[in-house]
Amino acid sequence: MRRIAGAAVTLLLLCPAGAWGNFSLPPEPPPELYGNLLIRRTWGTSRVRPATFSHWSHRRKYTCRVCHSELGFAFRTNATEITEAENREGKYCGACHNGRTAFGHEEAHCAKCHNGNLGYGKEKFSELKGLPATKSGNRVDWGKALEEKRITPAASLSVEPPSDIAYDKTLTLKAEWAFVPPAIFPHKKHTDWLECGNCHPEIFNIRKKGTKQFEMARILKGEFCGVCHLTVAFPISECKRCHPTMKRSQ
Amino acid sequence: MKKWLAVVLLVPLIATVAQAQTGTKKRRALPYEYGGVLIKNFSPGAGLAPVQFDHWLHRAMYTCRLCHVDIGFGMKANATGIKAADNMKGYYCGACHNGKMAHGDRKIFAACATKSDGQDTKRCSRCHSKGESVKQEYDFAAFTGKFPKERFGNGVDWEKAEELGLIKPVDSIEGISIKRPALAVQKDFAIGTKVETMPEIIFSHKKHTLWNGCELCHPEIFAGIKKGSTKYSMVEIFEGKYCGACHLTVAFPTTDCQRCHSKPVR
Repeated sequence: MRRIAGAAVTLLLLCPAGAWGNFSLPPEPPPELYGNLLIRRTWGTSRVRPATFSHWSHRRKYTCRVCHSELGFAFRTNATEITEAENREGKYCGACHNGRTAFGHEEAHCAKCHNGNLGYGKEKFSELKGLPATKSGNRVDWGKALEEKRITPAASLSVEPPSDIAYDKTLTLKAEWAFVPPAIFPHKKHTDWLECGNCHPEIFNIRKKGTKQFEMARILKGEFCGVCHLTVAFPISECKRCHPTMKRSQ
Repeated sequence: MKKWLAVVLLVPLIATVAQAQTGTKKRRALPYEYGGVLIKNFSPGAGLAPVQFDHWLHRAMYTCRLCHVDIGFGMKANATGIKAADNMKGYYCGACHNGKMAHGDRKIFAACATKSDGQDTKRCSRCHSKGESVKQEYDFAAFTGKFPKERFGNGVDWEKAEELGLIKPVDSIEGISIKRPALAVQKDFAIGTKVETMPEIIFSHKKHTLWNGCELCHPEIFAGIKKGSTKYSMVEIFEGKYCGACHLTVAFPTTDCQRCHSKPVR
């Protein structure tokens, strides 16, 4: 009994150290696949192939808030209960994919999404050439492209937001380790694309004392900044974009 | 089991739970689900399905005040403890659902019964519908289709719907509500924010008293009636207190930040 208890205590003491030890960045797909995903909620029970979706082709024309706020798409693949019936009623994909704004739900178009091919439509990726460049993700600096009006994604589809929120505070977040310089968080760059409610209070609960929980280990698990900055927004391998005074970056 | 071991194992566990912030996103309620309440104080014990109550249908026909002040429904799901016996005596749901009262030209069906013949079982499941395959009399999409649109919640701008006369919520019931002359309300005012550069809130008493009177909020939710005497934060609102008593689950949700934080920063 005493031995088991001892082992349990040792394990508990080791746990936090273990969490910090595991600090490998996720493998990054090629630029034309970054932010692509396969929606396969009913795969296995239905014979329809998983639907392919590319963020880069959509974010050129629509801000994140259009789909993730107005249309109610969740932030996790397969977490949204999209059905064909709802699409046909003009919900989810069907809000645009209705045969007017974009191709509709006619039989001829099925395979444009339901093809199970993560790289579908990659020949169009070359259209992004000429947009401000970065070294990772889609190799596109989407924020700069928006600022310079090289892309003009829509902010809403049907119901206009009352106004842009005027809040533009840049936060400085102390890093968890003493030798890592602080991270900066510019609200404005985020509200250009997102609603406040996209992040608050579920992802970031707005408590000041809560900020010390945004550890890299949890971000790497897809929490906090990692909800977007692992798979869609610029990847966290671009250390200096958040920790600007960091000496060495990958 | 040794006591010290239990303590050693429990302390980190409690600490973890206390600081748990998931940092991920929950599923958002669909427009027809928003404002839905599952009432199950006594139904499971009575062998009945929980009651699925939809605010969208009731608020289109009655003011908030009528149910939450005059009839006395609490503002938290399952806080009221509604009993079939009370409904049958004309309290709670039974205030309207008595088989006698009418809304427009429709008679409102009676809630709850002591005996059950075949017909009654069917009637039970009109409310005790969770998990049952019941065809609802009102379809959300058809019912709200013509209403002005809003970004969140039910996707309906209820305020505008009333302005346009598309809904005319009833504010009093004969024999239950006591009619008193309305109090004069304060003008719209700004509520300061704690965070610098965050736009201030424009609060309109006029918009709130239309459906709520004074009593829905004062003195229980907002104790102080003098401006500035009740201090509260956004964190508390997100926890369901103050504005969050309504604006998380039924009234337009807090995700619609700019609808309150609307005063331009000078």
